[in-house]
Amino acid sequence: MNEESGFTRHGNNAFVAQFSESEREVLINLAGQIIELLSERSDHADEDPLAAMVGITTHDSPPDDEVLLRLLPNAYADGVDAAEFRRYTESVLRNKKKAHAMSMRVLLKSAQDGAIELDHDNANAWLGAINDIRLALGVRLNVQERSHDELELLAPDDPLRGVYAVYSWLGWLQESLLQALMDDSPNEVN
Amino acid sequence: MVKTKTKIEEEIQAIFNSDKPWVTIVWDDPVNLMTYVTYVFMELFGYSKERATELMLKVHNDGKAVVSTGSREEMEHDVARLHEFGLWATLQRGDQAL
Repeated sequence: MNEESGFTRHGNNAFVAQFSESEREVLINLAGQIIELLSERSDHADEDPLAAMVGITTHDSPPDDEVLLRLLPNAYADGVDAAEFRRYTESVLRNKKKAHAMSMRVLLKSAQDGAIELDHDNANAWLGAINDIRLALGVRLNVQERSHDELELLAPDDPLRGVYAVYSWLGWLQESLLQALMDDSPNEVN
Repeated sequence: MVKTKTKIEEEIQAIFNSDKPWVTIVWDDPVNLMTYVTYVFMELFGYSKERATELMLKVHNDGKAVVSTGSREEMEHDVARLHEFGLWATLQRGDQAL
């Protein structure tokens, strides 16, 4: 990817980026992992199929997996209210997040030359998907406890070093898309 | 049990107030970029860049901020949309301690 630019704005409603083959593969792979993660909650089986059809899940407990819990957090501090809310909304939330990641994955898969052009809606889906990936990686990196400096100084053979590199790159990519979206200055490039 | 007039008035008041105000709170998170949080507030709530930036800074500096108020149903809707975009949000009655 062009190191200096990331996403740039073209005209009123086009946000473009050029990805290298390895960047494209990493993004496709990560989006796929998020889709898989959100697809089924393995800690709950035997859903009532009729309830599932209308988006009601038979489970109401928070996910056991720490990453899933960060992606599907409680809406209330109170456990009873949180469970009730989760029962009626969790599957909808999972599907919306999956749709963000799928939108990103589909576009990348079809752009074999790595040239991506997003409109405003696609851009929002990408922002959400990139953010979910960063949230997931953030849990693995334990960014809640570790300082930025600590993460910068991970040993070369530490497997988390690569994770941190991807996490940082995604932050940079997301920031470039945000800057392009929020740039309300007149634009001469078309 | 006989209710006093004041008690009844209080209860009537409570019924009228029962649907609001609730609040949506966004909590600080070490992962979400400051620009992203600002952008999400602008997109979801239609806030100006100034207002959205101010709220984002409040989340960042104080650890949390009330980002919208309204009925319980409205706040559940707001929390669901914030969760969709990965912000850490909860709702509660406006008169509860944050």
